[in-house]
Amino acid sequence: MIEAKNLGKVYTVKKKINFFRSEKEKVNAVKGLNLTIGEGEIVGLLGLNGAGKTTTIKMLSTLLNPSAGKITIDGLDAVKDAIKVKSMVNMIAGGERMLYWRLTGAQNLRYFGKLYGLSGGVLEDQIQNLLEEVGLTEASNTPVELYSKGMKQRLHIARGLINNPKYLFLDEPTLGLDAPVAKQLREMVKSLAKNQGKGILLTSHYLKEVEELCDRVYIIEKGSLILHDTPENITASVVKNYHVKIESSALSTSQQNRIKQSLTGCSIEFSEQGDSSEMQIIAPFDPTALIISVCIKESVAIQKLELKRPRLEDAILTLAKEKLA
Amino acid sequence: MWLAFSATFQRNYLVMKRAFPWSFFLGHILSGFYIIIFAYLTYFYVFKKDLSVSFSTYAGTDDYLSYVILGGLLYSFSVSLLMIASRAIITELREGTLEALLLTPSSRKGYFLGYVAQGLTRVGIEFAVITVTGYFFGLHLQNINWLSVIIVLFVLIVSTFSQALVLGSFMLYFRDTYITQNTLFVLMGLVCSITFPAHFLPEAVRWIGTIMPLTYGVDALRLVWIEGKSLSDILPYLWKMIILGIIYFPIGTFFIKRMEKYVLEKHFG
Repeated sequence: MIEAKNLGKVYTVKKKINFFRSEKEKVNAVKGLNLTIGEGEIVGLLGLNGAGKTTTIKMLSTLLNPSAGKITIDGLDAVKDAIKVKSMVNMIAGGERMLYWRLTGAQNLRYFGKLYGLSGGVLEDQIQNLLEEVGLTEASNTPVELYSKGMKQRLHIARGLINNPKYLFLDEPTLGLDAPVAKQLREMVKSLAKNQGKGILLTSHYLKEVEELCDRVYIIEKGSLILHDTPENITASVVKNYHVKIESSALSTSQQNRIKQSLTGCSIEFSEQGDSSEMQIIAPFDPTALIISVCIKESVAIQKLELKRPRLEDAILTLAKEKLA
Repeated sequence: MWLAFSATFQRNYLVMKRAFPWSFFLGHILSGFYIIIFAYLTYFYVFKKDLSVSFSTYAGTDDYLSYVILGGLLYSFSVSLLMIASRAIITELREGTLEALLLTPSSRKGYFLGYVAQGLTRVGIEFAVITVTGYFFGLHLQNINWLSVIIVLFVLIVSTFSQALVLGSFMLYFRDTYITQNTLFVLMGLVCSITFPAHFLPEAVRWIGTIMPLTYGVDALRLVWIEGKSLSDILPYLWKMIILGIIYFPIGTFFIKRMEKYVLEKHFG
């Protein structure tokens, strides 16, 4: 298990005062963050830009040393035992970096494999398996500079798996990818966690992706943890309202009043559209069952019913609005 | 360490095969070639073979052309080596591969040695081309103590490699290669007795040469190449290079490691 306790990171940045003078300023990128990632678990790390997600991932992957707190990975200290920890973790970031463009796909994997201490038949088998898994077997001898963006990203994934890491950090892994490639990647991530037992930390701006994949989500803001729970619980605790839209046969004013009275605690708006009516209901609970029973009682023929369930995206937007307010 | 060494050697070989760094290769040969041509023309047409007594005293030889050509040869050799080793990490940073490299538990010594060993194959060709060119312009090639030449070059490589680690740290700190490296190279050209003995320089400047391995390397090489001196005659020069290497190496490795973290914070934090 990965465990981060009271994790903190302070950057010293130079602020230019004029052409000759600058002064140093301390920026708290991460403050007192507690976080765990278990084996076979996919954990999301969300936040607006500059929240401290990438810094957190870099500390967990040993690239940066924390300014405060402690990270242990299966009992090993990520700073003191960095070399052992490095062979247990890997990171995949979105974009086209972290690959040697003048080498072929197979040569890239061979190079990184050797840097992880693999060699001979074990390394070659691993390379073939990974190339097959990411669908790059045919392009294995093509220089990376000739790869498409999707192919580079798939090779990037293979590079991240070359050392068969126990824990994997994914920083915006589907950034700029086509929908089919992104879907394929999501399937792979699920399989890595559920079938191979890898612990995965995922940051992504595609919140549907986080909702689909993550068992738990940490939401950080300016380096501090503001929420931690399952995506469903976070959504339920942040977004209070359900939106229901119903198209029905024309409603009389008395019918509208009775419906209003029956749905106490809900906000209802009616609009007429020719010989039909439309109801927009906003409720702090799922009002579907109640509205259907009221419509049956009032002999209203429902032509169309749309329920918009609150999503994680709504929760993040709500949190962002609260922050701006 | 061995895996990191062989992997990096092989990787750089493949990259070089795919895109040979012609500009660096020709640039280094041309800089050696210009020194040779300049020395030749000035020797014959400006001061018309008339050397001052002090030159012979300070240089330890009357063979001016061999003196300058060997200076140019070793200057080009040293500059190439410094560039190869010092630019390794900043090149990874610029190509976006530094994070992937630092994520691995590989030996940094193996990485640098692989980088330099592969680079030496190119530097060796440059060395040979400048030597052959120098021969046609008056480089002395008789009675050379080749074993001593090899030993001088080996010690110079080790010492210069250590110096390159320090230079590489500066490059990472300033996130610049051009100004940082060329400032050093201009200084080396001036104070390391490349085209004239450093004794001609004012005392206030001359001391800079004493912290450059090239100063002792070029003096030692001239002694074994031009004067045919034995290994025991150049031992003081070898020791000075070794001591500089011993000083530069821990400083370089310490600062390179610190600078790696520094650039990761500066660049991506």
